[in-house]
Amino acid sequence: MSNENDRLNSQTDREVSSEDAAATVTLTIPCTPEYVGTARLTILGVASRMGFSYDQVEDIRLAVGEACANAIERAKILKVENPLITIRSLVEPSKLTVEVEDHTDNPSGEGIDQDKPAAEIESMNSQELGALLMEILVDEVSVEPASGGGTRVRLVKFANES
Amino acid sequence: MSSANFVPDDSEAERLFREYARARDEQVREQLIAMHQNLVRFLAGKFANRGEPLEDLVQVGAIGLVNAVDRYDAERGNKFSTYATPTIVGEIRRYFRDKAWSLKVPRRLQELNQAANKAVDALAVKLGRSPTVAEIAKAIGATEEETLEAIELGNAYDTVSLDSRMSLESDSAPMTLAEFVGGEDEALKSLQQYGDLSAAIEALEEREKAIIQLRFFKDLSQAEVAKNLNISQMHVSRLQHRALASLKKLLLEQK
Repeated sequence: MSNENDRLNSQTDREVSSEDAAATVTLTIPCTPEYVGTARLTILGVASRMGFSYDQVEDIRLAVGEACANAIERAKILKVENPLITIRSLVEPSKLTVEVEDHTDNPSGEGIDQDKPAAEIESMNSQELGALLMEILVDEVSVEPASGGGTRVRLVKFANES
Repeated sequence: MSSANFVPDDSEAERLFREYARARDEQVREQLIAMHQNLVRFLAGKFANRGEPLEDLVQVGAIGLVNAVDRYDAERGNKFSTYATPTIVGEIRRYFRDKAWSLKVPRRLQELNQAANKAVDALAVKLGRSPTVAEIAKAIGATEEETLEAIELGNAYDTVSLDSRMSLESDSAPMTLAEFVGGEDEALKSLQQYGDLSAAIEALEEREKAIIQLRFFKDLSQAEVAKNLNISQMHVSRLQHRALASLKKLLLEQK
């Protein structure tokens, strides 16, 4: 219980202290294909407010969709029960950061690079292509283990000079 | 499409790439292009919801594939699909850029928005209740996500009458949109004055006109003008000064 309080506090601290003029939109969805559309719609709402052009908004949405698809693949491979994805959009004047964090408990904590049985190689193909697409579509991509298991993909798109 | 077959068997592709690198055989090239068509389809499919026909995207993507096949160097150790994806996606994105589709998408959204609005009314009458998003989507032949987007964003692009009422505060007198529309740009007016300028120059006396023409249209120096007109440079300077002053006066009078 106290542990959980600590976590909540530290989260609030981070959001308040580090970003003054920033707004955060957080969405948690079941890690299933049906809800990826909900994530894409949320990003549409967030990104189109920021002066991005239509193709830029679509690029961000596509990248977020790929990050979700990869999380869904991983949850399937790891046979996680009732997996969730949290999509956190951080709106700043200079950039939009979208963190796609899956809570697919990943014992190795090694992100997507783990031993892969032969049957999963084809899915690795689509995950690799998804990761490649993300690199092409947004300005920065980083992948790291999420706290408490899972993977966090951070996508950054810089705002246009106004 | 299942994810199973959009990247062909690596070892077979590798063998063919090695052969192509050695002999540059046209048939091997064709074979390599053909066996990676599914990669193009897969990637083009990702962009299919942006209002361009999938087949068009596959075709421009194929240009990227051909370029990638020609430039790929298997010796560098990259997988071909990894190498080709940025090239293929690059072609597809350039296609959108060149089509100025940022203008087209609002139009498409606006059309979808109008269709959705119509469908809402028609379905409400038919069903005797407010229709669901799924029912609207089906009626206008779009996905549910597209329908929601169109309803949400299409309104922003609706054309609006100049006489439509706007009120900033609910209790203030209603104003029309026309009252909010800005005035004429002063800088644009000065463009017209350039037209007036030639008339004003015509109105100058002969020698002043000649000086203005030689100085500002032929870019001669005052000394050169002086030589040309066989007068002193001092005189040119004085006449030029007078000419500019009267031009200014003439232009201001016209205003």
